[in-house]
Amino acid sequence: MNARFEKRLAAVWLGLSAITLVQLGVGSIDGRDGLAPNAAIAASAIAIALFKVRLIFREFMEVRHAPVLLGRLTDLWVVLTGAILLGGYLAGTTFAVD
Amino acid sequence: MTSTASPQPRFVPGQPDMWAFVLFEAFVFTAYFTVYVISRARDLEVFLASQAQLDLSVGALNTLMLLTSSWSVARCVQAAREGSFAAATTNACLTILFALGFLVSKVVEWATKIAQGFTFTTDEFFSYYFFLTGIHFLHVLIGLLVLAVAVRELRDPARRSQELVETCATYWHTVDFLWVMIFALLYVMR
Repeated sequence: MNARFEKRLAAVWLGLSAITLVQLGVGSIDGRDGLAPNAAIAASAIAIALFKVRLIFREFMEVRHAPVLLGRLTDLWVVLTGAILLGGYLAGTTFAVD
Repeated sequence: MTSTASPQPRFVPGQPDMWAFVLFEAFVFTAYFTVYVISRARDLEVFLASQAQLDLSVGALNTLMLLTSSWSVARCVQAAREGSFAAATTNACLTILFALGFLVSKVVEWATKIAQGFTFTTDEFFSYYFFLTGIHFLHVLIGLLVLAVAVRELRDPARRSQELVETCATYWHTVDFLWVMIFALLYVMR
């Protein structure tokens, strides 16, 4: 197999796995018995997940070699989903159950 | 001075129809995720109390399994492109093994939660948990069939089609990236 491509795929996998382990570490900071609301962790969880998805699109799914339109469509999904989820979180907290 | 090296030609990996399906599925899941995030933010205390019943390390292990399966199916595509069909078949089979590992892990997690008394009707968080992981589980099952088709193509010289192998891989990566989102929303978010 093309050694350069092979190394690149391995580096992407390593990066994605390392981010997952960081998420595991952050999620375990205050134990699992009493999870406290934390807007920063909520927002970063969404942002980090979308960053990982974009890496999967571009590297594993080879969007970086695809026609520009496909790259734009996948980026559009990433941006729209991020905006909608963060907006949804904000809207939900604004209209929280008493 | 201009470079004489021609740029790598751009191509759509697999059938364009599969990409239309991937984008459609991605937006359908965005709708599911949005409803979940709004419901969750409206009643954070209840959702967090139930979320604490999930084992974060199981979610992370599931994520690592699917990320590794995505890596192996990407290696499968590259090997097939280079004509190394034995290596491509091995990587496709590895992907199937990781997929099976994921399915077993999910069934064990569900069984554990149900035995502890947490079911679809326990509260809103567990309704979303069983719905999102259940609908994703269905996608993994379909993915197993798709991967089996890829293995059949790769093993038979008369059937081999690079486009079909790439199409199967594109579907499998979708199963992976949808889980990456589900992991963040159900297990990590606060």
